Amino acid sequence: MATTCPVDLDTARLRHEIRAIYARVASDPMSEFHFHRGPAYAAERLGYDATALAALPSEATASFAGVANPLRMAALPAGATVVDIGCGAGMDLMLAAGAVGPNGHAIGIDMTEPMAERARASARALGFANVEVRAGDALDLPVDSESVDFVISNGVLNLATDKRHAFGEVFRILKPGGQFLYADIIVASELSESIRRDVDLWTG
Amino acid sequence: MVLESVGFTSLRITEYFDPFGDTSKERVARKYGVRGVNVHALKS
Repeated sequence: MATTCPVDLDTARLRHEIRAIYARVASDPMSEFHFHRGPAYAAERLGYDATALAALPSEATASFAGVANPLRMAALPAGATVVDIGCGAGMDLMLAAGAVGPNGHAIGIDMTEPMAERARASARALGFANVEVRAGDALDLPVDSESVDFVISNGVLNLATDKRHAFGEVFRILKPGGQFLYADIIVASELSESIRRDVDLWTG
Repeated sequence: MVLESVGFTSLRITEYFDPFGDTSKERVARKYGVRGVNVHALKS
């Protein structure tokens, strides 16, 4: 699997495209995209608990565009600190915040401000004082080293232009014994150069 | 694997998903074997 962009892929353009597409997902999730969104998709294809999703504000669930289900890998204990990289509108983040409870801490990080604002609004609507959403991206996480019990991420790190660096950041912020609940896409075969240069596919 | 190269241990793929079914990218996803996965990793 390639861990960095092809050298001639314009990474600045890629970051711009990612921001633009996910800002549109935040503002108009019912618009046309080449990937699924929303709570019905999450429940039917990814095994989320439909009842739990129904209890969340639609601001958190309508723009969900994850590709797997990180919270199925571990039960987050009360009082834990969890970071969600690329939290988007906050669906996984709200589920995590509910699990760790008022003595825990759920920190969302997103580089798309409209998404981050939706996550903050959802936390306010749920009365979750243990949620904090920070601006930032996967290559420079605004989180102290060895301060986190769990890191979750769902369909985000495949967008990072340098995956080794992004995974190194996850490793840095986890405490010893911390767990990385990583949800993403994998590719079974080597991609052609034309596919790897296709910004439209990267941003999906 | 990249996760191991940065220090993670006990890597396990715990579950597979089909996030691209019934989308315009389904054909490309099938061709290249693109799937959603849950991966559990530990910082020892």
